[in-house]
Amino acid sequence: MDIQISNIDKSFDDSGSRRVIFRRASALLPSGKISVIMGRSGVGKSSLLNLISGIDLPDKGFIQVGDHCISFMNDTARTIFRRRHIGFIYQFFNLIPVLTVLENVTLIAELDKVPQKTCRRQAQTLLEQAGLWDRRHDFPETLSGGEQQRVAIVRALVNEPDLVLADEPTGNLDQETGAKIMEMIATLARKKNKTLIMVTHSPDAAAWADQIFSVDSGILTPMDSDTNG
Amino acid sequence: MGNRPLIRFCLRHSRRHLVRTLLLVFGIAMGVAGVVAIDIAKTSVGKSFELSTRALVSRSTHQIAGTGLEIPQQVFTDIRTDLGIHRSAPVISRHVKVSELGDRILTLLGVDPFSETHFRNLHLSPGEQDLSGVMTGSKGVFISRSHARQYNLDIGSPLHIFLGSRKTAVTIAGFLDSENSATGRMLEGLVVTDISLAQEILEMEDHITRIDLILDQDAAAEKIREHLGEGLFLVETDQQNTAVRGLSYSFETSLTAFSMLALFMGIFLIYNTVSFSVTRRHRLHGILRAIGATRANIFFTVMAEVMVYAVIGSVFGVLLGILLGKGAVQAVVATVSEMYFTLTVSQTHISGFTIAKGLLAGILAAFVSGFFPALSAAGTRPVSLMHRTVSEKGFNRLVPGLFICGLFILAAAALLMRTATPHAGYDFTALFMIFFGSALLTPLLIRVIVRVLLSAGMGSLGMMVKMALRNITRSLRQTSVLMASLMVVTSVFIGIEVMTGSFRLSIIQWVDDHIGGDIHVSSTDPLTQSLDTDLVEKIRQLPRVESLSAYNIHPVFSRASGKVHLFSYRSDQSVKRWSWTAAPKEELDALLENGWIFVSEIFAQRHHVIPRQGAAVTLETQKGPVPFQVAGIFQDFFMGGGRAVVSPETMARFWGHDDITSLQLFLASDTPAEPVMETIRQMLDPEDMIEIRSGNAIKQSILAVFDNTFIITSALQALTAIVALTGILNAVMALLLERTREIGILRACGTLTGQVKQLLLHECFFYGLISGIMAIPLGTALSWVLIHIINQRSFGWTYEMVLIPGVFFQAIALSSAAALAAGIFPALAAGRTHIPTALHME
Repeated sequence: MDIQISNIDKSFDDSGSRRVIFRRASALLPSGKISVIMGRSGVGKSSLLNLISGIDLPDKGFIQVGDHCISFMNDTARTIFRRRHIGFIYQFFNLIPVLTVLENVTLIAELDKVPQKTCRRQAQTLLEQAGLWDRRHDFPETLSGGEQQRVAIVRALVNEPDLVLADEPTGNLDQETGAKIMEMIATLARKKNKTLIMVTHSPDAAAWADQIFSVDSGILTPMDSDTNG
Repeated sequence: MGNRPLIRFCLRHSRRHLVRTLLLVFGIAMGVAGVVAIDIAKTSVGKSFELSTRALVSRSTHQIAGTGLEIPQQVFTDIRTDLGIHRSAPVISRHVKVSELGDRILTLLGVDPFSETHFRNLHLSPGEQDLSGVMTGSKGVFISRSHARQYNLDIGSPLHIFLGSRKTAVTIAGFLDSENSATGRMLEGLVVTDISLAQEILEMEDHITRIDLILDQDAAAEKIREHLGEGLFLVETDQQNTAVRGLSYSFETSLTAFSMLALFMGIFLIYNTVSFSVTRRHRLHGILRAIGATRANIFFTVMAEVMVYAVIGSVFGVLLGILLGKGAVQAVVATVSEMYFTLTVSQTHISGFTIAKGLLAGILAAFVSGFFPALSAAGTRPVSLMHRTVSEKGFNRLVPGLFICGLFILAAAALLMRTATPHAGYDFTALFMIFFGSALLTPLLIRVIVRVLLSAGMGSLGMMVKMALRNITRSLRQTSVLMASLMVVTSVFIGIEVMTGSFRLSIIQWVDDHIGGDIHVSSTDPLTQSLDTDLVEKIRQLPRVESLSAYNIHPVFSRASGKVHLFSYRSDQSVKRWSWTAAPKEELDALLENGWIFVSEIFAQRHHVIPRQGAAVTLETQKGPVPFQVAGIFQDFFMGGGRAVVSPETMARFWGHDDITSLQLFLASDTPAEPVMETIRQMLDPEDMIEIRSGNAIKQSILAVFDNTFIITSALQALTAIVALTGILNAVMALLLERTREIGILRACGTLTGQVKQLLLHECFFYGLISGIMAIPLGTALSWVLIHIINQRSFGWTYEMVLIPGVFFQAIALSSAAALAAGIFPALAAGRTHIPTALHME
């Protein structure tokens, strides 16, 4: 699904003054492609992912995800949309510590009342691909960083979302593990024809991009992917 | 690093979490309020007692009293003329009611104005008339000027004095004036008149209540003793007052026990709050340690902050305690008047000592509560900065050790209770040890219960239930403190409910056993107390009356407790099932006929009767002091100085009472009581002072009296519930704040706000459920201690502990509901979590 960002404004209250993140920013992030967002720290890359996923709302303008204008939905509709159509991968993995690997992966499907058999089958396929099926009953704190991130990737993909958002997915990993994780995300996304939007500082990760955008001074600008590879 | 910037930083942190800071202050304030309120109630009873009696006893060193609570007036004349003791005064004192003075119970004090000068400073202002004329020539009485003003009465206003239902019309002859406000209050409980009018009102003819004496030498006392005839004796005024005052000490001690319970809970809850506050700042303390703050800096900062709030909370607590105490005084004075001795003056007494005690209790409790969390904060290692789980893992390793330590403390508490000499201080220490020891058991118990719940299929109820349960053990260091506090609060609920429930059941059983008759007829005449023998015979002849039991009950003087009730019965038909503390070995009636007596537990306690065969007690009789063999000690719920059962022959021989004071009638089956009662009423003259009541009405009125005893207990229970809820709310808010990041992740992954709220409420519900389950054994142990140790020592009552399953279910429901209620506000707040902010929280 295409992501259409239309003239969005977003600012935050910062100790009494307003800090502008986006000012009439627009972009089209094409369906089935890997789009990478780059920029300095604090320019609003993660905020953009939050806006696309409906976790946060723009002050002005709107964001359309496929046929759905997520910016105009109410909280419940946005949450259900996110649950069913968007997978999220974070830098710090953000697994639920009191759930096992398998429970973390099937949590959202279970909340969405997907039959247990269906979600377990899907989880098994992906965990086997990630090499973690044997560790399905382990708790996150017993896994290495790379393993935790692989669980997070499986959790993001288990619901067959149309859109995958990744916020510096290799930022907390060593180079070798990061490369493997990046390969896994990109391969899975390509294989399943998902739209992947990834925020990263890593040139290695950006090398997987079909399209790169830079965020600067509140504007989202497409860049030539070759110059960043 | 200096402490000032750290303290500033801590206070700023508290300002940012204003609601929790206010709850901490409120928790301390409520704990202190309980202590202050009870202390005010207790000291006020003492003050009211002093005010009610000081005007009566004045400067007398000794008193001459009679076994039947009155003596012939001739004794006074003999003392003056034969022995030449001029510092002596005849006194009549009896409780009456005056309709024009709000129907309050007052003391009618009959004095001889010429003898009084040595004894009482009664400033009598007789208006226009001559004092001696007023006192002796007309039906004139004196009342306190302030009292008269309160009821718009003046000199010459008519008053009606009631003794039972006997009414005497008098007029106000003058006022009692006071030197200051303290004596002014004292005089409010008095109606003063001269001896002859008092005798007329009380129909005492040539008798008086006692003679007050001022004796300088022991020789004079000895001379009087030799002179006194049978049935008269000399007592020391102070000793006698102390004996009477001592009657309610035990009741007051039980109040202290309950206020200590409130304070114990306060300590737990303050510890809870401070501990959470410190845990919340674990990372901040780590940062401060990393940039150069010493352990001492951190310790001092945490303690300083706690103490600032302790002082604020304690001050508010004292103010609140004064308000609550004023309300409690009425209830406590009413109970003491009903059960021990009549207080004609009720005075709210707030001393500096009470205020200091309250402040000290709050500050000390906060110090003790803050000490260990502060120590833990000071021990924060900079390396643990990024690892919140480090301290949790360290705590998990301690869990088995804490459990064993808890078991040792519980064993020590049991030993202390079994072996120590009876003393309130030991009891309270043991009680605190029980709470503390049990709290140390909680981490391991929580782990086990969560495991059991998960393996019993709770986990299959959904991911939210599973998460809620696992969250409890994940943050065991914090949850165990919260749940230990909730367990303590719930156990206090169970303890008090089981105690009052068991007590009530025992009372019902006792009333059923002792009041078996369908109709009760008794004299309400405070003077004669006798039923006319013709009337008794006529009642016996009534067609529907199958059988009849006759009783003879009289109050007599006792050196140990001022007054005891002697009790004898003839043809007792009631299904009397005595419950014995020390049972007689032979047949009851045979022992009585041989001159043995049975005494109630309270009697035995007051007269130091050791419950074994052969124990004897000396009673003042008309024939002088006589030792009686005690054949048994029975359980009894009448208060005052206690009761002794004697045979009718013993009663007649030693106290001169061979009358009948009350009857129990047993009707033929299926006979309604009311028509028979009506028939008996028709037999009476209008002026007869006789009460006719059905057995059920008597039972209800007895139960009502004992229910009143626990009013103050219920009030304390409510107070502790407020303290508890405050602490729980504070702790739950802090604990759920820990979950913010997790909530952010869940929301980002697609969890609805309703589902997040559900998760938090599930978690709170399990806090309550598990705490409730853990509270059952602790509550049962507490109720055992309350019934068999504290209550027994306080009231002298022993009764069986009855475990009522309903109370346990109620406790679990209450504990779960309280935790759920505490979770509502945080759950609503969690629903409004700003996801991006939550995701970036550590």
